[in-house]
Amino acid sequence: MKTSISSWTKSGSPWIWLNAGAVAICVIMVVSLIGLIAVRGLAHFWPADVIQATYTEQQSSRVVIGEVVQIEQVSATQLRDAGIVVAANIDSLERKLLKIGNRDMGGIDFSWVLDRDLSEVTKPAMLFTAERYEWGNLYGYIRSFKQADKTIAKIDSYPKSSLYLDLWRRVDQSMQRAQQLKKKILTIEKNQIGSINYQLERLRLKERRLELDANNDPQALAEIANERAQLQTDYHALEAMLIELYTDINRDSISVEVASGKIVPVQIASLVRIFRANDLRLDQKMLHYIEKLWEFVSEDPREANTEGGIFPAIFGTVMMVILMSIMVTPFGVVADEDIIEYAKQGFTTRLIRIAVNNLAGVPSIVYGVFGLGFFVYVLGGSIDQLFYAEALPSPTFGTGGLLWASITLALLTVPVVIVATEEGLSRIPRALKEGSLALGATKAETLFKIILPMTSPAMMTGVILAIARAAGEVAPLMLVGVVKLAPTLPLNMNYPYLHLDQKIMHLGFHIYDVGFQSPNVEASRPLVYATAFLLILVIALLNLSAVAIRNRLREKYKALEM
Amino acid sequence: MTTDEYKVSKTAGYSTHISKQFNDELEQIRTELLAMGGIVERQVHQSVDALLAGDLAMAEQALAIDIQTNAMELLIDERCTSIIARRQPAASDLRLIISISKAVVDLERMGDEAVRICKQTIELNINGGSHGFQEVRHIANLVRNMVKDVLTAFARGDIEQAYKVAKSDRAVDQEYRSAMRTLVSLMMEDPRTISSCLNVIWVLRSLERIGDHSRNMAEHIIYLVSGKNVRHQSIKDMKSTVEESI
Amino acid sequence: MSKVTTASIDLSSIIKGQKSLKFADQEIKLHTRDLKVFYGDKEALHGITMDIPKHRVTAFIGPSGCGKSTLLRCFNRMNDLVDNCSISGEIILDNRNIYAKDIEVAELRRRVGMVFQKPNPFPKTVYENVAYGLRIQGVKKKRVIDESVEWALKSAALWDEVKDRLHDSALGLSGGQQQRLVIARTIAVKPDVLLLDEPASALDPISTLKIEELIHQLKKDFTIIIVTHNMQQAARVSDYTAFMYMGDLIEFGVTDTLFTNPDKKQTEDYITGRFG
Repeated sequence: MKTSISSWTKSGSPWIWLNAGAVAICVIMVVSLIGLIAVRGLAHFWPADVIQATYTEQQSSRVVIGEVVQIEQVSATQLRDAGIVVAANIDSLERKLLKIGNRDMGGIDFSWVLDRDLSEVTKPAMLFTAERYEWGNLYGYIRSFKQADKTIAKIDSYPKSSLYLDLWRRVDQSMQRAQQLKKKILTIEKNQIGSINYQLERLRLKERRLELDANNDPQALAEIANERAQLQTDYHALEAMLIELYTDINRDSISVEVASGKIVPVQIASLVRIFRANDLRLDQKMLHYIEKLWEFVSEDPREANTEGGIFPAIFGTVMMVILMSIMVTPFGVVADEDIIEYAKQGFTTRLIRIAVNNLAGVPSIVYGVFGLGFFVYVLGGSIDQLFYAEALPSPTFGTGGLLWASITLALLTVPVVIVATEEGLSRIPRALKEGSLALGATKAETLFKIILPMTSPAMMTGVILAIARAAGEVAPLMLVGVVKLAPTLPLNMNYPYLHLDQKIMHLGFHIYDVGFQSPNVEASRPLVYATAFLLILVIALLNLSAVAIRNRLREKYKALEM
Repeated sequence: MTTDEYKVSKTAGYSTHISKQFNDELEQIRTELLAMGGIVERQVHQSVDALLAGDLAMAEQALAIDIQTNAMELLIDERCTSIIARRQPAASDLRLIISISKAVVDLERMGDEAVRICKQTIELNINGGSHGFQEVRHIANLVRNMVKDVLTAFARGDIEQAYKVAKSDRAVDQEYRSAMRTLVSLMMEDPRTISSCLNVIWVLRSLERIGDHSRNMAEHIIYLVSGKNVRHQSIKDMKSTVEESI
Repeated sequence: MSKVTTASIDLSSIIKGQKSLKFADQEIKLHTRDLKVFYGDKEALHGITMDIPKHRVTAFIGPSGCGKSTLLRCFNRMNDLVDNCSISGEIILDNRNIYAKDIEVAELRRRVGMVFQKPNPFPKTVYENVAYGLRIQGVKKKRVIDESVEWALKSAALWDEVKDRLHDSALGLSGGQQQRLVIARTIAVKPDVLLLDEPASALDPISTLKIEELIHQLKKDFTIIIVTHNMQQAARVSDYTAFMYMGDLIEFGVTDTLFTNPDKKQTEDYITGRFG
């Protein structure tokens, strides 16, 4: 027996099993993590059923309406400690977390209820869920529909009836109309007025620049005044249009009976969407789900980031990572080329190498501090002094922004790229370089025509690693230009289109912000999962495209990997 | 090692190659050549002795040896071809092989000449008469020494001795001419001796040829050792070449 | 010796022992004068002085580490790439010292092409490999490049084998073809001197013979210097042979003489395979 075990050990199969086991555990962990995040995050967008029940608490009972968000067991002792009477023979009780909405009335969105205190649980078909631009969800029954203070339709009953459905149709039409108007208003507010404001600001800066230069050229000033007058006229015209649209959009309203039995008026314009969750067929639910998902990835956030979409964060992340890649690649390669090819091998080179390798181990927040101190204050400050003096004291580059965030990340990932590139460079046969030089090529020609194309797969590997590291980085970014809510995208229709000085939103920071800084933690938790899932997706996508590029390059130079 | 020392020791070692097998092959072919030389030398001796003593049995014996000579020639030739094909010898090795392959031809010819002498001996015995044997004895001694010396020179790589052999070929030639004159006058005096005298002339002719072949071998030895071709040169030029090379 | 036809041989000179190929008659392309190469403090070449004749094949032979490759790499200043390598003495190519300050190294390397031990085609197409040197020189016209590529490939006896796959990757060629491609690439820029650093050592015998035949063809247009470990190869392809040992030039002479009757014991020992 002993010999058989020792021979088994010698055969090496224990190590193979150990290896396989470790790999399997890793794979399982990764898959489960992603699975957990995906399930938790993506389930949020499914239209949950809304229950209506009578809740009896200390002899008083009231009606509660809400979505069941979570169910858990709670021990009897805990409940007794909280002063709740629980029979002696019961160890634990079930309790539910209900999303009751109507924050504007009750002040809270969520409420724990004990299962045993719930009675008459129903899912009424005509009970609706409304998402609002402000104050979260609204649950209740429509009682009447008003158009310009005139009641058009009215109902008092609860069950589903043709009369009720008729009322719904009116509300739906009104919603559609309101959405269209909303879109119009948004276009005017965001694009046209935004553009005018931007141009006005530019004019102001131009004027200020003239002032700073002590240039009193009346013609230039007149031009500015002229342009400004023109813009003002445009602005007033748009303003008039807006006022008109606003009165138009606020024409319709409904009155709603909520859980407490109160009737409250609600402006149609304040609703994002309204639907009866309990009355949706499966296909309608799926449609609703896709709509919500799309909203999530394509819309701006609302309500302190706890509602709406995260498009600006996705855009900001991708934008920053791409900028970072563009900066880090040449930088890393040039630095590496210098170390390997040009610098005399010796003490200094060794020192640089050690420094580079150690840079990889520096905590990222240190990079953030460095970025803030050096890039933002020193570099940005100087740039402002030199080129944007007219805007002072409000800083242009002297504050965090896309450029500084990207550069800081580039700095953070440069060691990765250098190490990977070095690996690639060392694999290029010396003979190839000599072959090129022997044909009369200069070092630069050899570098660009022979070495760089051949190193490109390794460079791409470095960039892949850099992307993976950079996209998930949050701490340094908080210091150098990522914010909770950016008013505009860094890439837009206003000249010069790409605004490197603008602050951006970032998925990682968004997760942090929504998860831990939000006023409404319960409401935002699913969003944290969803955003995390999206972040993983974005990183995976960026990585996969880099991998695809690398594989294509590698294929091209495959024969050299001998 | 200086250049001068090197010249002396140029052929000193066939046993210093990195390939031991190559050493063995070269050593073997050299030994075989010397062995063949020994056979030919014996053949020449015996044929001359048989002639002078009129010993027919010995003549027959010398005739029989020729088979060995011929066989040795073929064997050594084959070895040379094989070494060239397999080893691509260079420099002294190349010269050794080339010299051996040429020397083999000369040795075989010497054997053939010895065979001729034996045949003449047999005929002379039938014809009777011993005219001109004095001249024969003299040349024969000279030639026998040449054969012996040239083989020694080869064995030692001694180009001085080789040069001496080449030089003594001149003496043989002189002896040959004077012996011819004697025999011609003898034949004029007594036409009855013509038949036996012609036999003696053939013998002299053969001995002179053996001397020539010895000289050729001596030239090969000089080429082998010094790398210089002394064929078709006057003895004087040869001497200066040899002196240069020492 | 193909260039010495029987008719032109002076018969009497042969009997006098004079060699048919002599140094004095040759036009000299390259001179080295007391060339020393140092790697740091170590002297790798101890003052080499030699003349390399034009349009002939000169072979360098010697044991590993004897400095033959170092010497070869001096001729196109490849040693400049080696750290702490310094050089004294001069190498004169057509009356100009190639180590003079005003010499542009890239330009020198265009005139003195080099082929390395292992075939090192670039990971490009066959065509682009050959065109590389021309493009480096700034040749833009497609017609000119086309012609040069064809000429070079024909000269390198490769045209027939690759004319249908000019735009395939050069890495798909066999080792022997790759080496001939590298030679084609080198001669495409029309250098004066062709340096071959053990060009056939990584090839099979048939490819080796093709390369040797090629060398024979090329010597009418180029001055060729070849470094080889293979003495038989040196004997086969070269007109002159230099034997180097421990950083010294031991013997330099007509190949025929060197391989039949070398002057120096070290040469003899090396070419006959004896203990040094």
